[in-house]
Amino acid sequence: MKIYLLDDLQHLQAHLAQDYQFHQVVTNNNGQYHWQQLASDETQPLVHDKPQSSAKGFFFAEQESLLVFNGEYFQETLPTPKPFVLFGVQSCDLTAIHYQDKFFKDDRYYQARRQQCLLVGLDCINPCEHGFCPTVNAGPGVREEHADIVLHPLGHKWLVIEQTSKAAEALQALALIETHWHYLTQRDLTLHQCEQKFPDDKYITDGIKKLNSGTITDEFWQTLAIQCRGCSGCTTLCPTCSCYGTRAIKQDNNAFSQQRFWDSCLYEGFQREASFNNPSAEAGTRVERFWQHKFADEFFTEFSRHSCVGCGRCEQTCPGVIGVHSVMKRITKEGGQENGPEVTHA
Amino acid sequence: MLSHIPDCIELVDYIDDGEQARHYLFRLLNLAHSKNKNHPHHWQQVQPGQFFMLNVPSIGEAPFTFTEPPNERGEFKAFIRQMGQVTSTLFSMQRGAILGARGPFGRGWPLDKIVNHNTLIIAGGCGLAPLVTLIDKLTNNSPDKPTDKLANKAKNKQQLILVYGARNKAAQMLTPERARWQKQIKIFNTLDATDEYTSTNANTRANTSDNTRANNSNELRATTVQGSPLMILPTALSTFTRPPTTALLCGPELMMSSAATYLTEHGMTSDAIFLALERRMHCALGLCGHCYIKHQYVCKSGPTFSWQALQQLKAD
Repeated sequence: MKIYLLDDLQHLQAHLAQDYQFHQVVTNNNGQYHWQQLASDETQPLVHDKPQSSAKGFFFAEQESLLVFNGEYFQETLPTPKPFVLFGVQSCDLTAIHYQDKFFKDDRYYQARRQQCLLVGLDCINPCEHGFCPTVNAGPGVREEHADIVLHPLGHKWLVIEQTSKAAEALQALALIETHWHYLTQRDLTLHQCEQKFPDDKYITDGIKKLNSGTITDEFWQTLAIQCRGCSGCTTLCPTCSCYGTRAIKQDNNAFSQQRFWDSCLYEGFQREASFNNPSAEAGTRVERFWQHKFADEFFTEFSRHSCVGCGRCEQTCPGVIGVHSVMKRITKEGGQENGPEVTHA
Repeated sequence: MLSHIPDCIELVDYIDDGEQARHYLFRLLNLAHSKNKNHPHHWQQVQPGQFFMLNVPSIGEAPFTFTEPPNERGEFKAFIRQMGQVTSTLFSMQRGAILGARGPFGRGWPLDKIVNHNTLIIAGGCGLAPLVTLIDKLTNNSPDKPTDKLANKAKNKQQLILVYGARNKAAQMLTPERARWQKQIKIFNTLDATDEYTSTNANTRANTSDNTRANNSNELRATTVQGSPLMILPTALSTFTRPPTTALLCGPELMMSSAATYLTEHGMTSDAIFLALERRMHCALGLCGHCYIKHQYVCKSGPTFSWQALQQLKAD
């Protein structure tokens, strides 16, 4: 690891934009934040606010072709992206990428994109609306191994932390001068102060415990599910949701491509079989599945963490008001017995 | 790396058997058959109960079980019922059509708990299909008979009884297989319908005059009783000279859970009962999420599960 002090962030942006397709969060005319590719000669100020969508679509495409069948044989259609940089990814979304890296470790399509990407992380120094990243160990500071480069704001300057060999290669031509390690202590202090600013969310840790206690009744999930409209807003915006469907698309030359596209476990037909047997026909079953996937300890065992990264986008988008904060409060109050077994993680 | 890319297969032939169901014969094209017996091709390592993803290029993929695993020429069989878009398109395809297949996938039946163990098999409708290669092996009807050590090992050392239930005559499937097995193992056929099992004409399919099929049906008719598989279970269990130590179930989930409950109430342990589950699948690689049961995916952890494991999953 090497650390540098940077006076002008544009210097770094312009440099990286020369060698990479450059993506950064920008503000649109409606005041919303979203990822956008910038031209190599264009720089925009770094946005500290959470983008509406996470960065998952850069690697796990919303829809993509897996193969083409030309009538005689099947041909893989792997993406061939040019090297690109995601500049200013916040810690929650980086944690999600780290999670997806494990889930899709053997997926050639995901990896073809992921391996071309330079991740530049951005420490959050203030809580965001609905966010609770410290509670689920996903922020506000960028975790080690989650980004190639970490940016930390120091007043009018920037601390630049080079974490990987890929980062070293990207920064080499800039000839930055290493700075004092005490800036890392200052970073730790700032991040600690940021953590203290998050509102009390004990109901989330209590909700996780209760969700893993096996005491939540089917009736609770059914009642909760009355408010689920099956709109897929939460699964679309959740940075660790990765369910997909497949379909065949006829092409002009009578060939067929097989595509995969983002799907949602909250759709009524998600598990419905051709025979119309449907293991999750009940909305409560589907809603339970979604929250189990986010907080069940069984997934913790496989991924060394829960899949929820505390971004709060589900709370922000759910028209039925059953995002993470609402659900965890209700689980804590109504979800079953008060004292489930102790949970080892969380 | 996991592969989404199917191998090309040819639709070689098919025969009708039962209600909108067919035996399909496929052939893997360009099968790079390994001459090295220490490193056989993955298609030649199919275990009974495993499945493959059939790709109908204009529609998509769906999972099916093997009723005969690929031989050295790459030929394999599957029993397929016309149900949704993939199978409807398949049923409209002519011999010689080119399709795709990926596999084999999943965990098959637990052979170490079956071979040399008295085994009760309960199947419903086309749920018998995932058991075909297993019963063939155990009864020495496997096409790879000369080298089938499993069959030789099992021979005369175990008692195998099959209970096969169907809604009605038309829903009875895999008639040639049951007729073949009947010469070696006890089979109880049950029909839910009350007015068909005694009918002298009911066993002859309206759309076929095949004599062999009619003979097979006549043989099976003699062992067919009215009722559900559950109703015949006391009789089936009492037929064993020594109680079964393993039970294999495949069919509608309600039938399987009812049968598993009955068997545990009558002395079998839940880790000796195995079920093969059916789920919608889009990848068979543990990625698409469609086949989840709690935190597990049927395509990887199944499709066969012990009753104990399933109960544990539901309790989690």
